[in-house]
Amino acid sequence: MNRAVILRGILGAVLLIGAWEFSVRFFALPQWILPPPSGILATAWSGRAALLPAAAMTAYEALSGYAIGAVLGVGLAMLLALAAPLRAVLLPMVVAVNSIPVAAYAPLALLWFGTGALSKIIMVAFIVGFTVFLNALDGLTRVDPAAIALLRSFGAGRLRLLWTLRLPAALPSIATGLRISTVRAMIVTLVTEMLGSQLGLGWTIFQAVLLIDFLQVWAAILVASIISLLFFGVVSAIERRVVFWR
Amino acid sequence: MTATKLSISGVGKNFGAVRALDRVDLDIAPGEFVTLIGPSGCGKSTLFNMLAGLLEPDAGGTILLDGKPGKLLGRTAFMPQRDLLLPWRNVLDNALLPCEIEGLPRAETRARAEKMAVDFGLRGFEKHFPQQLSGGMRQRVALMRTFMFERDLMLLDEPFGALDALTRSMMQRWLLDIWARYRRTIIFITHDIDEAIFLADRVVVMSARPGRIKLDRRIELPRPRDAHLLTAPEFTAIKRELLDAVEEESLKSFSA
Repeated sequence: MNRAVILRGILGAVLLIGAWEFSVRFFALPQWILPPPSGILATAWSGRAALLPAAAMTAYEALSGYAIGAVLGVGLAMLLALAAPLRAVLLPMVVAVNSIPVAAYAPLALLWFGTGALSKIIMVAFIVGFTVFLNALDGLTRVDPAAIALLRSFGAGRLRLLWTLRLPAALPSIATGLRISTVRAMIVTLVTEMLGSQLGLGWTIFQAVLLIDFLQVWAAILVASIISLLFFGVVSAIERRVVFWR
Repeated sequence: MTATKLSISGVGKNFGAVRALDRVDLDIAPGEFVTLIGPSGCGKSTLFNMLAGLLEPDAGGTILLDGKPGKLLGRTAFMPQRDLLLPWRNVLDNALLPCEIEGLPRAETRARAEKMAVDFGLRGFEKHFPQQLSGGMRQRVALMRTFMFERDLMLLDEPFGALDALTRSMMQRWLLDIWARYRRTIIFITHDIDEAIFLADRVVVMSARPGRIKLDRRIELPRPRDAHLLTAPEFTAIKRELLDAVEEESLKSFSA
């Protein structure tokens, strides 16, 4: 990304926040509809002692689940890339399970794994695993047949093909899966926290709504958004370095 | 030294109901440069895939390499039509790909590749990535990769087909130079009659589908060859003869 793009992004954000602050004050909007950004920032700062541990917990759950899901997704995809018959049997099932909205499983996860971090990590690993798996498998199996023939003519076997050709050729789709997964990981963490937990930004938001403390709701949303943006940004930056040829 | 490097006899191939290749017989001597020409869809690439060991001939056909039958996979150096360079590998690593697959010692093959890069006009570009190179250069990397896979028999499938005319004629002279230096047996598929004659010790014309060998013409033009040869009377005489044979087959495949 060049500097002009970054500058334009910052300028856009500043304009948006300015317009938001202005309209809230100008139209005298009540706080439960939309509090002003200045108020949100002030609340986030004064409530930092409570927000920080919640943010740390949410980040911990999202990142651990993400890492586990990513490893499992890529690993399983590599396994199935080697075994075409197994793939034909399993793939329709995987797609079917994946198309059920994830929030539907959340209460079950809480029932099975409790209201601690484990239920969130498992939920995130589950959704990230599926996303990465499907993207990785697509990349691993959609390799140019002519390139496969070439490597075979040099004497490459199946494992060699996987390591030297399929895996690097699949990196762009794996990276796409990983990038999409960052946001999904945050969403799933927050939703599962709202349904039951002792600590976390999702839980903070849920509690604040019950207490009709909308500034606190927005402060938690602000912190969650910052984590999400950072997560997405770091993964995108790594992607650009690793998949430099795209 | 055996008299024949490669001996193909009675090799045919059916794809379902389609007869792609019909009883091909061909003997090639060590160090020979043979060009293979014929109308599209005449089974040239099918024959190449069989010689590379990627495809089995139908029962009854035999292919002997150095007088021996058996699996051909990994025993001939095959260069497909497209360069198929891997975009995540730089020039040197692309050329080293076959050595890496063979499991040859890395330091040694690297030193060999660095030396070879000079002959292939790639010096100073070793660390470049394929997407930074011109078409002619990419093709030279692909050729170097084929040479790095040290097999006596090389199968080149229209390596210059996608290049512009100027680059192409430069690459032809350059290839002859390389061939003289490295002494490999080459079978070279082309659609271009000038190219077929200019390069070859022998031009083999294939018939329209089902592919058979229609004409096997020895080219006794002196070497080294240069661009003036293309307008010499003995060259045009051969060209006329081959054109007649090729045109006849093209018409057949056109009306079929």
